Parts: sequence; C-alpha cells; structure tokens
Amino acid sequence: MLSIKNLHASVEDKEILKGINLEIKAGEVHAIMGPNGSGKSTLSQVLAGNDAFEVTEGEVTLNGENLLDLATEERAREGVFLAFQYPVEIPGVSNLQFLRTAVNAMRAHRGEEEMNATDFIKLARDVSRQVDLDPAFLKRGVNEGFSGGEKKRNEIMQALLLQPQLAILDETDSGLDIDALKVVADGVNALRSKDRAILMVTHYQRLLDHIVPDFVHVLAGGKIIKSGGRELALELEERGYGWLGIRDEDSADQSAN
Amino acid sequence: MKPAPVVPAPFLTPAGESLPEPLQTLRKQQAAALVDMPLPTRKTENWKYSSKYLKLTEDLAPSLPAGQGTGEYPDVPGYRIIVRNGAVIPAASSFPGSTGIVVRRFCDLNDNEAAELASQLNHTLNTDTVQLAALNSARFEDGLLIRLTPDTVLDRPLYVIHQVTGDASGSAYPRIFVDAGRNSRMTLVEEYRSTGSQTVLVNTVTELNLQEGAQVTNIRLNLENDNVLSVGATGVHQQRSSRFESHCIGFGGPLRRHDLQVQLLGEGAECKLNGVVVTQGKQHYDNHTTIDHQVPLCNSEETYRNIAADQSHAVFSGRVYIHQDAQKSNANMNNRNLLLSNGAEIDTKPELEIYADDVKCAHGATIGQLDETSMFYLVSRGIGRHDAKVLLTMAFINELVEQIPEEWVRDSAQDRLNQFFDQSFQEA
Repeated sequence: MLSIKNLHASVEDKEILKGINLEIKAGEVHAIMGPNGSGKSTLSQVLAGNDAFEVTEGEVTLNGENLLDLATEERAREGVFLAFQYPVEIPGVSNLQFLRTAVNAMRAHRGEEEMNATDFIKLARDVSRQVDLDPAFLKRGVNEGFSGGEKKRNEIMQALLLQPQLAILDETDSGLDIDALKVVADGVNALRSKDRAILMVTHYQRLLDHIVPDFVHVLAGGKIIKSGGRELALELEERGYGWLGIRDEDSADQSAN
Repeated sequence: MKPAPVVPAPFLTPAGESLPEPLQTLRKQQAAALVDMPLPTRKTENWKYSSKYLKLTEDLAPSLPAGQGTGEYPDVPGYRIIVRNGAVIPAASSFPGSTGIVVRRFCDLNDNEAAELASQLNHTLNTDTVQLAALNSARFEDGLLIRLTPDTVLDRPLYVIHQVTGDASGSAYPRIFVDAGRNSRMTLVEEYRSTGSQTVLVNTVTELNLQEGAQVTNIRLNLENDNVLSVGATGVHQQRSSRFESHCIGFGGPLRRHDLQVQLLGEGAECKLNGVVVTQGKQHYDNHTTIDHQVPLCNSEETYRNIAADQSHAVFSGRVYIHQDAQKSNANMNNRNLLLSNGAEIDTKPELEIYADDVKCAHGATIGQLDETSMFYLVSRGIGRHDAKVLLTMAFINELVEQIPEEWVRDSAQDRLNQFFDQSFQEA
C-alpha cells in the first residue's frame, strides 16, 4: 500500500530524513521507534504533506500513486490520515462543523452525496462515545480547552469517522494516563482491518502493549537502522537505544527544557 | 503654505423646500457655519489614515432626487421604512400603528413639532471631531423622527432601508432622530444599499437619546456598492440605567467612514458596541468610536474586528474617556484584526484616557494572519483550502455575527460574506 524509497527531507536547509526505505502492506501495523530528534515526527509530517518540510530526494507512493505530487488535502482524500502529536486548538470553529466539513469533503471526493446535519450528528455522537468523549465536546471549538488526553481521543475519533487507508499516529500515547491510553488503544484497534495500514510513531513501547504491531523499525539519525518483529520493541524497552550504537537524547532534551 | 481645502461652496446651498420652516432655518444656520470650514487632511488626527479617500468634488454637490420611490425593496421581519436618497417613501413603508410610538417623516411635521425637533437636533455629536456631520445638518431634506413615550415597547424591530441611486452623480443626507422615553425599548436596524454606477456621496447622521432605563439596540449594515462614498455618524446620549447595544457590520468601498460617539450621562448606564468590517480589492473602511464616561458607575464594552484582503485598508480608532467624577467605571475595549494578504493595511489605535482613580479599564489590539498550523490541520482532514480559509475567517468573527439579535440581518451579512469569500479565496 505505502512504499517509501530513499526519502530525504529538510527543514530550513537542515537535512532531517536521510534516506528512509519502508514498505507497508494493507492490514499491517508498523511501529517506528527512536530517540528524540531522530526524525520520527518529520516523517509523519512529510507523509501528511506539511510544506514546512522540503523533500529533496526519493519517492513515496500510496497504492502506486505518487503521494509527493499531491497537496495535503488531496492526500487526505486518497486516504492518508495523521493523528497529530500536538493537535491545534481552533476557537470559533465548532468541532461538529469541522468534522462534518471534513467528512463531506471526503464524500464529495468519492462522488457520494453530502451527509445532512441530522444524520451526521447521530454518527458523530456514536463515534465520540466509542472514544469515551462526551458528545458535548462536539459543540465546543476544535480542541478548544481540551486536556491532552481529550485531544488525543479527538484525533482517534476523527480517524474513526474518516476511515483512512493509511493511519499515521504520531506519539499518540504521549501525555496519556493509563486509562486514557487504554481508550485510545481500543480506538486504534477498532481501526485495524485487512484493508487498512497503520503506522505508529512512538518513543516508548508501552503503547505497543495495547496495540501489537506486526513490524517494528528503529529510526535514528534520519535512517531506519534496524527492523524486526514485536520482540524488537521489547528489547528496546529492556536495553534502551544504546546497544544499537545510538545515544538516546531524550533525557538530555528533557533536562534542557 | 497652501491654504487648507474647504467644503466647496456648491455643497453649502440647502435644497428642497418641503421641510417645515423651523428645520429650514436650522439648516441655513448650519450651512452658514460651514463656510470656510476646513476639510480634514492628513494632518487632521482623526482623519490621518482616511483623508486621502475623501474627495468632495463639485459634481457630488447636487442632491440626488427622491424620485417616485418605486422599486424592489426587501421583505423584512418587522416594520419597514424605505428611505430613498434620504427621503422617506411612505408608499413603500409600513409604520408602527401602536399608541406610544411616533414614527414620522420630518417633512410631515407641523411647525410646532418641527420647532421641538429643531431644538433637539445636533446635540449628540461633537462636530469638532465629526466634521462631516455638520454637512448633513446643513443639507438634510427629510428625515425620520422616532419617539417612544415612557414604558413603550416596540413589538417588532424597525428596519430603515436606505437606498441610494447612482444613476447620476450627487449626494444624499439621510437623517434619523430617536427619542426613547423612560423605560422604553426598541430595535432599530439601518441598512444602507445602493444601485447604479455613478459616483455618489452618502452622508448620514443618526442621533439617539435614551432616557432613564431605556433599552435600544441599533444595528447598522453597510452594503453599498463601489460607486458610493459613505460618511456616517451616530451620536448617542444615555441617561441613568439605560442600555445601548450597537452592531455595525460594514463592507468596504472607495470611502467608508463611520463615527460612533456615545456619552454615558447617567449613573448605571451601559453600552455594548460590536463591529465587524470586511474590505477587499482597493477598498477602505474606517471606524472611529468614542465612549465618554461622564458619571460614575457606568459600563462600556467594545469589540471590533477588521478583515482586510488584497490591497484594501481598514482603520479602527477607539477612544474611551473616563472623566474625573466617573468613579467605578468599567470599560473594556478590544480590537482584533486579520490581514488576508501582504498588500492589505490595517491601522488601529485603541485609546484610554482616564482621570478617575477607581475604575476598571482594559484595552487591547492585535493584528495577525490566518494561522498556518490551523490551516494545515484542516486541510490534512481533506477540507479544501477555500473551505479551510472560510472556516478560519468565520472563526475570527463568528462570536460577533452570532451576537446580532436579528436573524434577517445575520443572513444578509452572511450572504455578503459568502460573496467576499468566493472572490477572495479562489481555490489555488
């Protein structure tokens, strides 16, 4: 489904991704792990089409179609979904209006009729309950005043509504307590299907206790330096990143903050 | 040194003989006072950003004809008064019939009534700062008098639909005077629109007097076309415990200027002033507001938002003046601005002048662009760029649009906003 070949990307002339190769088939769940600053989030943003990042080399195809030629909204309509690490707050745009506009944009792309307001509210309520969000959140501004956990659940709710081909989850576990983590994981597991691919980007392996990946990749210095099965994540949990010859800058980064 | 430009002489000849004698006399006095009145220039502080748009050429001096007044007028959910080029058209209007409410054309007043009105006009606006209101006072040929006796509640909003015809060059001077008696209530909607394509000047004055406990909502919707130079002033006097609410929604033009001056004259008076301005192309819009806290215990709340696209130019100047005696005043002024293009310009000047020591006052102004992070978030969900910009732009003004108490006005404003979005946010 998704094929990434020799992908290089820079931000402000600084190269972050230095030749990523990755193949993901429909039905598979891949986890990308790595220390902070390794390029995990950049990879997510580049796949979603954030033009703050410049692709300097390589190719990315989704079902054979060149993804890099498509604008962000066209990628989304082709089935790419990014659950953001830091979802933005947009006061003044109600969650309901936002979600309905998005769902109808997707429907229009597929040549389907717009969903009317009544049907949509019913659908949105059902899905919000699935991620344990009070339907009252639908009336609030997009992510406005949401806690960290509520924002993450709102992201998963959007994935459930939009039913993407490829769901990219960027640090979806960060900032969640164990109960919220469980709810989010249940949502992601509900997304698993033989027609859908999931790419999880995470620093820690704890999310992988709840969402068991088929493949695990270690990203460091802008390259995938090791791939394996689920046991690789457990090994990283036990031994850290050091044994792979890379320094985990996490503790250094956090103390710097 | 070049002499300052003055109001051209042809503007100073009041026309139209239908007004009752006392009002004609008042006009002549006003016209005499205007001889040699300097026009605002770049050096005039309150016209600093806008004088270049004020072009009083002599072809604008003649009065536009009232005509027969036949034409297409909108249906409104309330009383409808049609004003064409400043003249009230009774045949196209529906006047409230209930007791306690007087809605009359100036031209229909008898001499006694006109003398009473003449003594009440021209008190709410400071013509040192609202120079062009004096020109209206010299030139109005009709007007709308609204009096509510004490405790009267107008059951439906009064819509005054001002139509200006641009079939030939000229000017019009619409005038409204409101006296809202003790504990009376009403909603006054003023809508300004235009037809034709010749350049015309519309110079409006609306004066509102709120007696003790009166509650008046005034909605102003400026929807004129690009052939109209529009200069308007609204003056408000508020007595004890009265409440005034203003919603000004305006779309730009070659010249758009509105001065809103509120004087809080009785303890416990409150005003809320909301404004939304949208400009595009090479359009201009300038709002100048003044809130004068003269006595203690009054509240004022002001929120204005400007959106400027293309090479357009929006101006906001808000002044809150707290007099020495006006202890326990609450004043809050906020102006936020959205620039939609690199070529657009917004000038904002929030001013607080405080001479009392026990007050709560705040003011703030911001200028920004559409947030790129928010844009990316929306389009990453498949929403097209046009729709994403519309959502974010509406988010900027939604709070104010939703506060407009009349659905008909909200719909009119939204229709015009949609036109603006279609023109400004073409799919890239």
